[in-house]
This record gives sequence, structure tokens and C-alpha cells, in this order.
Amino acid sequence: MSLLRVQNLSARRGLRAVLDRVGFTVEPGEVVGLVGRNGAGKTTLLRAALGLLPASGESSLAAMPPAARARHAAWMPQSREIAWPVTVETLVMLGRIPHLAAGARPGDADRAAVAAALRRMDLDDLAHRPATELSGGEQARALIARVLAQDTPLILADEPVAGLDPGHQMAAMEEFRRLAAEGRAVVVSLHDLGLAVRHCSRLLLLHDGRIAADGPPRAVLTADNLARAFGIAAHFVDTARGPVFQPLEALP
Amino acid sequence: MRLLSVLSVLVAALFLLSLLTGPAGFGPGESLAALVSGRGEAVTLVMREIRLPRAILGVMVGASLGLSGAALQGYLRNPLAEPGLIGISSSAALGAVIALQTGFAASFALALPVAALGGALFAVLLVFALAGPRGGSLTVILAGIAISALAGALLSLVLNLSPNPFAVSETVFWMMGSLADRSFTHVWIALPFMAAGWIALGLTARGLDALTLGEDAAGALGIPLSRLRLLAILGTAAATGAATAVAGAIGFVGLVVPHILRPFVQSRPGALLPASALGGAALVLAADIAVRLVLPDRDLKLGVVMAFVGAPLFLHLIYRTRRQMA
Repeated sequence: MSLLRVQNLSARRGLRAVLDRVGFTVEPGEVVGLVGRNGAGKTTLLRAALGLLPASGESSLAAMPPAARARHAAWMPQSREIAWPVTVETLVMLGRIPHLAAGARPGDADRAAVAAALRRMDLDDLAHRPATELSGGEQARALIARVLAQDTPLILADEPVAGLDPGHQMAAMEEFRRLAAEGRAVVVSLHDLGLAVRHCSRLLLLHDGRIAADGPPRAVLTADNLARAFGIAAHFVDTARGPVFQPLEALP
Repeated sequence: MRLLSVLSVLVAALFLLSLLTGPAGFGPGESLAALVSGRGEAVTLVMREIRLPRAILGVMVGASLGLSGAALQGYLRNPLAEPGLIGISSSAALGAVIALQTGFAASFALALPVAALGGALFAVLLVFALAGPRGGSLTVILAGIAISALAGALLSLVLNLSPNPFAVSETVFWMMGSLADRSFTHVWIALPFMAAGWIALGLTARGLDALTLGEDAAGALGIPLSRLRLLAILGTAAATGAATAVAGAIGFVGLVVPHILRPFVQSRPGALLPASALGGAALVLAADIAVRLVLPDRDLKLGVVMAFVGAPLFLHLIYRTRRQMA
């Protein structure tokens, strides 16, 4: 049973079509990397799929009632907003809101989920610090932990690892892979194609609001696609320690 | 939880003190006995018809202003937000001033509060119309500022063109805010609106917590954003409109109280709501007691005292915040 089914999804900003009849499905066990240049429509696609902005076409998520959707899919927006100096633990606990009955306080299960999410994102030492006092990368990890605490079959994340140090970038991507191995699925937009190649089971290449390619990283990041969608040339090798992708130069 | 208990005790103590403060000069035991038993005609009359409604209104007005301030700051994610910012206070004042100037206020007892509530409601509808169906918090702030400025200009125009200097001075005094000479009629007219406002704002707690992550993330957490906006703005209009209607314009409570209490609830916007309601009640009761103690024979206005207390407090808070940010 697919976790997300999108068909003919179109969205406009003003007169410009930002998304043009996009369709794909996401199955359990997948880590789907959403790649494309700035303005290709990655963020719009994720938000439209969630039903957070007006769009035509179909999305199985947007069709759900909001409360049920929040238990099915977690969303990490690109803008890493933390409005108040709440502790990291309180921030991560916000991910439990969809699981709380009206007026209920967080119970043992909620606290356990928060503790597990904090541990996975290496935040145990920061749990009681005000989230607004952390560095940008630490805040990003706290917000990823919030998404993990939501404990949903599907996670949509918009540039979750941008600004993280390399070690925590890998750790976050590996965490997504581990969740996929549990039978969940993650859709994540990325600019770091090297990271995408190593950690995603499948890539969606978005170009001018359409899906230009969809498949395993090797099949998507062909020289032709890279030139057309990104205007770059790159080096791609399979090594004993997995695939390695290195962009080389911008094409004239 | 401990914070709420401490604040409740504080409100109860100030309520009692407010009942025992006044120019009539009865002893505390005598006053309370008369209030409860009804023996001793003059004392009972003073206690039941003058001091009791005044103290009750102090709690109601303070709770409304504190709660509205906390809810608006949470909704707009801005520690400088207050009911005055989205134009509700000034529009309520405009409604009241028009009533005073046209003589409508003298036509029946409740004409003034009704006009003030009408002004508040009109402002809210205008904010909604301007901000649009999907308008975020920023459009609400901008619409509120525009309406606030417009109401202020209209208010000045009304005073400017007023042919009656007596009505002008009455209006100016009314706008300074006061709880003096209020009766149970005022309590009963304000209570239904305030209660509706309190319930609406109370329902926003979880949504305000989620908004810590921004509107997009809150929406994806299953928070119905348009309903949240409706509750926050209508709740503020009902509570603040009713407070302005019976007590005139009293500033700073909605701004300062949530600011002071925020560290005690670890900045959680939902938990700040009940704390600010109690804190607002305590602040207004205290200021209303001060009004009667400082210059007992002059009719010192509550809004004036509040500004004298609130402004330095606020300056101190800004200074402290600046030091923390440095």
C-alpha cells in the first residue's frame, strides 16, 4: 500500500505555473530525494502534496482530514522557525500534538518518543537548553527530532540537512534510512547531490515544475539530465564503499 | 501549576484588599461582616453596591486584558503584540466617544458599553476583511495597524469638531480608564462577552503551542489555522471590547503581564494563557487599590496609573532583553 499518491498536481503562483501535472507515488521502505535547481518547485510540490497551499489535481495526503494527516505524515518546513525560547525538549514534544486527545497532557508514551528522538539526533545534552540559543545546525537537529517524535509512517522534509556539519548530515540521512527500513518512507528535498546519491533509494528530479526523471540515483543523474536540469557536469563512480558523486563544473 | 496557585492566592488577597479600600472608613471586620450578613445598612450598601462590583470588575477587566495580550502575542509570535496593536482598543474607544459626543450615551444606561463593543466588533470585521481568508499573522498585524491609525484619527476628529467643551472633557476623562463608580449593571453587561472571549482564547492554547514552529508546521500538525485565527481575534475582541466598554482605555496590561510571566512558564504560549489572566487580574486590582490610596480625594484615573507603572517596567524589560541579546 503506497504511503503517498500524487496525480496531476498543479499549482500556480500568480500567473506562473510552479507545478505542472506532477504525479508519483511513495512506497514503504523508500527514501526519496527530491532534487532540482532553485525555483524548480521542490518546496511547492511538498507543500501542495500536504494540502498546505491551494493546488489542483490529487494528493492522497491533501485529501485526508488534518488531524488524520498529522498522524500519517510529518512535515519539516525549510524555514526553521522557533518563535519562543522554549527548551529543546518542549520543542520536540510539539511533535506529539497529533497524538494527544483534546485537552490531554503528554503521557509516558509521549515522553518516551521524545526521549528517543532526542537521543537519535544527539541532543541529550541540549535537552534543557532554550532552543533559540542553539546554533543553526543544532536548531535544525532539534527540528528533525520534532519530526521523528511525531512518529508517522511518512516524513516530508524540506532541506532538513542544509547547514548541518558533515557528521550530523550523515547521521540525519542514516536516520531516515533506518526509518525506511522499518517500513516507513521519507521524502526529502536536497541540494547536496553527493548526499542524495549515497542515501536515497530513489530520486525525483524536478525541472520547471515537472518531473524530469524518476528512478534510482544512477538512472536519474545522467550527464544529459545534469546538464539540462542543473547546468553542471559531474563525476559519478561506484566504489567498494558505495556510489560517489562529485559535481565538477558549471556548463557554459 | 505552582505558579498558578501563587497567582491565585495573590489575586484573592488583592481582591480582599480592594474590598477593604475606600474613603468610607469602615473597619475591615465590620466591612466583611456587612458584606456577608447584610447587617448595618450604610456599610452593606457601600460594600455590596460600590466596592464589590468594583473589585469584581477589576478581576474581570484585568483577566481579559492579560489573557488577550498573551493570546495575541502567541498568535502573532511577537512579544510586542497587544490588543491595542490590532486596533481593538482604539476602535472600542472610538465607539464610546461617538456615543458620548452624540448624546447617545445618555439615552440609556448601557448605551456607552454597547457603543464601545460595537466599535470593537467593527474593527474585527474590518481586520478580517483586509487580511483575507488565508491571511497570515503578518497581514493581521498590518491591517490592525491601519485600523488603529484610522480609529485614532477619527477619534481626534470627533474631539476636534465637538461643539461641546463639557462633552470633550468627559470624553477625555473616560478615555483615561477607571473602575470608579461602577455597578453590577456593568458587571452583567460585560460578563457574557468576556466569558465568551475567555472560552474562545482558552481553546487556542494547543494551537498557540504548535505555532512556535511557524504556521506551515502548525498546519501540518493538524492545527486548523483559520479556526485558530477566528478564535484568537474574536476572543480578543470580545474580551478587550467588553473591558474597554466598562473601564475605558487601560493600556500596558496586555503587553507587560505576558512579558513578565513568560520566563515562569518556560515560554510555552499555551501555559502562558491562564498565568497571564491571573497576572492581569492581580495587576489591575493592585493599580486600582493604588488609585484610591495615593490621591484619595482626587479622582486619579486607573489608565494613568497603569501607564506610570507599566511604562518604566516595560523599559526595564527592554533593557534586560537587550543585555541578554548582547
